[in-house]
Amino acid sequence: MKAIICAIAIVLSLSAAAAAAAESTATVQADQNAETLATHVCSNCHGAGGDSRSPTFPRLAAQQAPYIVAQIKAFRANTRGEQEAHDYMLGMVALFDDATAEALGRYFAKQPEPAGTPGDPKLMAEGRRLFAQGANVQGIPACATCHGADAHGNGIFPRLAGQHAPYVVKQLHAIQEQTRKSPVMHGIIKNLTPEQMNAVAVYLQSLS
Amino acid sequence: MRKLAKFVSLSLADMLILAFAATPAEAVPAFARQTGQACVACHVSFPELTPYGRMFKLSGYTIGQRQALPVAAMAQVGDTHVKDNKDDQGNAIVPKTDQLAFSAISLFLAGKATDNLGAFIQWTYNNLNVNDAGKTVGHSGSDNTDIRLVGRVENTDKTDVRWLYGATLHNNPTVQDVWNSTPAFGYPFTVPPNGIGPIAGTLVDGALAQQVAGMGGYVFWNRTVYAELSDYRTADGVFSWLRAGQDTHTPGGVLRLKGNNPYWRFAYNRDWGANSLMVGTYGLIADVYPDDTLPGTPTDRYTDVAVDAQYQYITDPNTVTAQATYIHEKQDYRASYPATLAGNPIGVGPTPANPRDTLRTAKLKLSYYYDHRYGATLAVFDTRGTLDSGLYGTGSVGGSNNGKPDSRGYIAELSYQPIQYLRLMLQYTGFDKFNGARRNYDGFGRTASDNNMLFLNAWFAF
Repeated sequence: MKAIICAIAIVLSLSAAAAAAAESTATVQADQNAETLATHVCSNCHGAGGDSRSPTFPRLAAQQAPYIVAQIKAFRANTRGEQEAHDYMLGMVALFDDATAEALGRYFAKQPEPAGTPGDPKLMAEGRRLFAQGANVQGIPACATCHGADAHGNGIFPRLAGQHAPYVVKQLHAIQEQTRKSPVMHGIIKNLTPEQMNAVAVYLQSLS
Repeated sequence: MRKLAKFVSLSLADMLILAFAATPAEAVPAFARQTGQACVACHVSFPELTPYGRMFKLSGYTIGQRQALPVAAMAQVGDTHVKDNKDDQGNAIVPKTDQLAFSAISLFLAGKATDNLGAFIQWTYNNLNVNDAGKTVGHSGSDNTDIRLVGRVENTDKTDVRWLYGATLHNNPTVQDVWNSTPAFGYPFTVPPNGIGPIAGTLVDGALAQQVAGMGGYVFWNRTVYAELSDYRTADGVFSWLRAGQDTHTPGGVLRLKGNNPYWRFAYNRDWGANSLMVGTYGLIADVYPDDTLPGTPTDRYTDVAVDAQYQYITDPNTVTAQATYIHEKQDYRASYPATLAGNPIGVGPTPANPRDTLRTAKLKLSYYYDHRYGATLAVFDTRGTLDSGLYGTGSVGGSNNGKPDSRGYIAELSYQPIQYLRLMLQYTGFDKFNGARRNYDGFGRTASDNNMLFLNAWFAF
């Protein structure tokens, strides 16, 4: 009897090890595919390692992996309704499976943080105040609450440090106008003025 | 596809039509279907490429998912008005003006075959083609073609492509280029198919389109330095499909090159912020038989050296782009001049009065687009060359009274793109000088501005 139990245990152990090895192999393969994809395709707009040059395309370097995965799924589900999402990303991400999306998330998350670009000091100061303290009169909480004191993000809350200011402004408008579906963020920024958007975006672009 | 008439003896109608005939350029929804992206991802306004569009082309059209049926089509319908479409005898110069005319339809086979192999193959039916008898008869043939085999080497930290390299087989010098300052996909992107064009143009500026087989290799290093060397030969034998539809039987119907003819292209590219800048040079040295139906005769040599530049500022909603090119052509009539001097011109070849001439063309274009939808463009062009009454003789409308090839003018254009598959365009071309002079340029009392054209055009891509 003991021998049978031992045999079953060995078989189960081997099966679990084999499954783990297979999963590990699949992950390695997905990471390799993502690296090729990021290097050969994504880099054309998002820049080397996700450090894009054009403000039309967001910087993805050092971005939170869960956020990237969530956005790929949002593009696929068409819940990001801004025109650029349709024009540039919808077709691209349609080719990704979940494993590739997660691997791309890991790839960009491990890239070096993009350098910040200082802007107008007055705007940066106003943006810093908004980011750190919010605007009580308008019912706007501090951005840092979710995005982190250094704006490096946390999980599905994106990293904003070093992001192109025009891109941040465009996304704030898209969320405010609900072309980009983000119910929580919409509630938070519904009273944010264009001037405040610009100030906080200039501040965020200055961070690294 | 602009074929220049200075090399060949054609009827006046042929010459005038061919001189300004331009086939619709690149705009291929098959690529959009392959990538799932909108046209604006690759085109500022087709066919002008964005930085990503340039990388897509240099990557051999291989980005995206291979399509089972990678086909697309394009058509143009327009209305051309020529300020004075009567020659000195009162006859119409070009046909079908002041009426809506379907000008051309193109079919494309375009897209990736593998991750390293892709193609852009265009076949065009020209509905306003004028035959040898001067009749407007539809005609189809091979149009711009570019087939690429590519490879990539990543940088050491695996964040970008360090070396993007490839080989290209194509049929039109500069059709393989990715900056819209070079002739094949340069401005004007489309012109009146039944307009009137100047007598002279350089060889690299469209005179060899769809007549040659070009084979070359290129590298793009670090998205910064581009280098290409190509070789051109007449598209005969196994390459004859590249010039299918060309008139290879009539003397002067095409240009015929002797052997292998080198082409170079070097460019420095820099992208920063919303800006993209390129400064470059390209050129071609070609030995041309004076009469294409008489291979075996001595040849004339054309040496074209060009510099060009492009600047793009692309944001939402404002986009500004500018292109400039300057082409210097040295024409060495080492075959035609002595033959002409001896009183025995080679077939229908050139009959120059000088052993060597030069021809210089400068073009400058500036565009503004709002929201990828509304566009305004202003362009100027200036061609100057050596006085040569043997090449540029007197003739009603198409001739030059003073023997000079000089022409200059401007193009003003408004465009509206209500959907990405359709562009509506109003274009005005004005000539300040035409074939050597402003007034009585042809010796028959015609002024340069008589050739001014207004062109209303609808350009469909689907």
